[in-house]
Amino acid sequence: MNMPGLGAWFDYTVNGIVIGNIYAMLAVGLALIYGVANLVNFAHGSVYVVGAYVGWAAITYLGTPLPVTILCVVVVCGLVGVGIERLGLRPLHGSSRIAPLLATIGIALVLDQVVQLIFSPDPRAVPMQVPEWRIPIGGGTIGPLDLLIGGIGLASAAVLYGFLRFTKLGWAVRATAQDSDAAQQMGVDINKVNMAVFAIASALSGISGLLVGMYYNQINPAMSFEATLKGIVALIIGGLGNVPGAIGGSLILGLTESYGIALFGTSYRNLFAFVLLIAMLLWRPNGLFSGRSSLPPEPMTGTFIARSRPFRIPPWAVAGLIVAAALLPLLNNPYVLQIGVNSLLYGMLALSLTLVAGTVGQISLGHAALLAIGGYTSGLLAMDAGWPVAVTIPIAGIVTAGLGTLLVFPAFRLTGHYVSIATLGIGEIVSLVILNWSGLTHGAIGLGGIPPLEVFGYDLGSVEGTYWLCLVILVLLALLQLRLLSSHLGRSWRAIRDDSVAARSYGVSGNRYKALAFGFGGFGAGISGAITAHSYSYINHETFNATLSVLALTMVILGGLGNVMGAVLGATLLIALPEAFRGLAEYRILIYGLVLLLLIRFRPQGLMGTV
Amino acid sequence: MSLRRRSILTGTAGALAAAAIARPSFAADSVMVGVSGPLTGPNAQYGAQWKDAFELALEEVNPSAAHKVQYQFEDSQADPRQTVAIAQKFVNDSRIIMELGDFSSTASMAASPIYQRAKLVQFGFTNSHPDFTKGGDYMWSNSISQAEEQPSLADYAITDLGRRRLGVIHLNTDWGVTSKNLFVSAVQSKGATVTLAEGFLPNERDFRSTLVRIRDSNPDGIVIIAYYADAATIIRQIRTLGLTQTIIAVSSVYSPKLIELGGDAVNGVHTLSNFFPGEPRAEVQRFVTAFQAKYAREPDNFNATAYDTMVLVSKLVNTYGTTRAAIREGLPQVESPSVIYGTIKFDPATRRVSGAQYKKLVVKDGAFAMFQGGTPA
Repeated sequence: MNMPGLGAWFDYTVNGIVIGNIYAMLAVGLALIYGVANLVNFAHGSVYVVGAYVGWAAITYLGTPLPVTILCVVVVCGLVGVGIERLGLRPLHGSSRIAPLLATIGIALVLDQVVQLIFSPDPRAVPMQVPEWRIPIGGGTIGPLDLLIGGIGLASAAVLYGFLRFTKLGWAVRATAQDSDAAQQMGVDINKVNMAVFAIASALSGISGLLVGMYYNQINPAMSFEATLKGIVALIIGGLGNVPGAIGGSLILGLTESYGIALFGTSYRNLFAFVLLIAMLLWRPNGLFSGRSSLPPEPMTGTFIARSRPFRIPPWAVAGLIVAAALLPLLNNPYVLQIGVNSLLYGMLALSLTLVAGTVGQISLGHAALLAIGGYTSGLLAMDAGWPVAVTIPIAGIVTAGLGTLLVFPAFRLTGHYVSIATLGIGEIVSLVILNWSGLTHGAIGLGGIPPLEVFGYDLGSVEGTYWLCLVILVLLALLQLRLLSSHLGRSWRAIRDDSVAARSYGVSGNRYKALAFGFGGFGAGISGAITAHSYSYINHETFNATLSVLALTMVILGGLGNVMGAVLGATLLIALPEAFRGLAEYRILIYGLVLLLLIRFRPQGLMGTV
Repeated sequence: MSLRRRSILTGTAGALAAAAIARPSFAADSVMVGVSGPLTGPNAQYGAQWKDAFELALEEVNPSAAHKVQYQFEDSQADPRQTVAIAQKFVNDSRIIMELGDFSSTASMAASPIYQRAKLVQFGFTNSHPDFTKGGDYMWSNSISQAEEQPSLADYAITDLGRRRLGVIHLNTDWGVTSKNLFVSAVQSKGATVTLAEGFLPNERDFRSTLVRIRDSNPDGIVIIAYYADAATIIRQIRTLGLTQTIIAVSSVYSPKLIELGGDAVNGVHTLSNFFPGEPRAEVQRFVTAFQAKYAREPDNFNATAYDTMVLVSKLVNTYGTTRAAIREGLPQVESPSVIYGTIKFDPATRRVSGAQYKKLVVKDGAFAMFQGGTPA
């Protein structure tokens, strides 16, 4: 490691502030929304993309000057914000707090897809509408856009701070944030307040999309996820709901990334960001700029579980379904069978997630990381250590159970939103470690030539073989999970989910039971990842990406949280239906987003009911 | 499903009539190839470019050919979960005698075991991952080999432009890392130095701190291994940071989009391309003229590769036969005219093509131009 000189440190500091400046515009809006609605808005980055494209379209087609462009962006994004409040927040008032968070994920999928369908995924240049002089600072330069972005970030934070502190409406906003029922009783129209806040925050996000697009002279629909992610990390550093803190958090995030690059190199940049996120969640979940070191009280206990009576399937019907599934290869249609294999593999993942998210109530947004751990463990043992596949797959299950539990163990004391954000961060960390630890994982090149499925000399690489193997494993895992759920263990898990304090006072130690759930869930997901790796023969750090985690969560909610049969059904439906409607492929992710939204709104108990 | 299958096998009149109605254009002397590629999703533009080039190629070769080629394009979104399902569909469709695609290595290589097992040639014409053709003897590719391009790039930087100390910024993916490693060894074998190599993640936009690292390694040239969109962003930031080194970039930055996204900053950037519409060679000019007449825009690298591929398919079926086995036997021997290579001829050991020709280009006044030698900009 070469230590940079003093002049270089100055440049790294300037660069950290420049990028922190950009994060700040996102984080301020997120903080405002959290401060009022207690909601981490996952659609924030999508509004940023909408703003960028609205600005681009206004300049390109209407030739608007900068003030008019900004006005267009403010109006459209403000309306989008109002829409998010109406669809994602207001109807869910009174349901659990995680429900609006999931709804914003659905809205984000829908918005991103709509932008992509209208404007195509091709990147576009945003004409610069700001003069292009540069001010030399240290070894580099900054331009008027840097100052404009910084100015808007600071000014909006200052105005918002003043508004929240010193105006009557601001008091209403804060009162709503503290206790919306009490505020309502005191005559505050909380819906109006929420709507105003969403409009302001979304307009701000849209402006940042436009200015950042100009800054880099490039916009594309895929930039939303990164924007949301970085905004959320900055938000957590600054403290959820703390508007001035969001600016500080953004600058710290920018500096951390810049110094991380200075010391270790560019490919470690995001790793630093996410490690910082997890560290903050563990040690200062209230952010750096807050006195309290404990978590703020969570008004909810439990999680996104709608009380419902699960739909009971009689045992003979289950047996009939298993027999029917076992007879599927007789149709002699390998294409259908391959879709069956995919459904079974996702079924294993969904079983795992329904246990963790449904039965124990830890909504995980990083579940795909378990597939990656399983796939890499089995692939590496078979390739580099030369072990037989029949041995490496169960080992992959065990390693994933252990490693997965160990990774989330520190997050066990978190609840609600914090769990989701922590698991999202852990998922990203797993993927980045796989990318950077090239000595073990072959880095970006990925694992090529993974040996095919073979058990004690029997070749299971054919689609029939893989299908039967997956079916047997899925049935065993499902039966085991059903057995566990009806035992003492299952009751303890549900007790922790429903009221962790009560469970603890009855002597049910939360952490140990959560660890058991993650262990069992990790085992199934690890096996699924391992079989995937052997049947694909090639995997890399992107094979199991964050989209998969969201897809798995949609499957589980569709089937009914905690419901074993529901998880399998949800996986089958979400894998098989898009294949059946190949012609609608373009709208596939849009449909996932809509399904997620509609379920949360109208059928939170899923198709089969929660358990 | 089994019922329908049986009825087709026994050849009842009804089934035959239904098949004829469903595919009226599938004549007896036609052959079908399957294409697996992204028509939707984040890589959708590449699938669209393939289609344009396929259509043009077939319009040219089919009328005079004994066996007319048709293709069935299945949208995979370049997602491995979908390519495996498409692979099962293709290998079990007896009409399909060869498969083309998919776009990314992850997506193609996940399906390779299925094609290999079914003995159907998988022709990954954009798959430069060194392991792709190692998936089995049915995996073939005419994609540009980085093992050839990187030494040419090093030669351009060192011999033509006189650079001795090169700082490298590369995309941290299978393609980027493979290219970077080949570039570094090519530079070293020429006695020059790579001062630093920095890998960045897809979707990254801020390169200022990376560039400070590069600057402090004191290079006299900066080499960019990235696609055009990222390259444009990097080059803009190189110039706004006040760095004045010569910039040399790999052939994948060659696109009109580089100039659109990079603006004035990309003037003076050096790059290579296998395909340059301004090149006087007859095959190139014929292709460019025909493409412009049909689509009213200039073709790019992706169009040229896809066009070459479809011409090759027609050559294969009309020379070696219309079965899957005939295609596999024909590939080691075939010689097919090519926009990119002049002539496509496979090395049977690697199942790849060598001998791509590189044109040295430089961006001048907002347009790509052939590099005429002289002092670097």
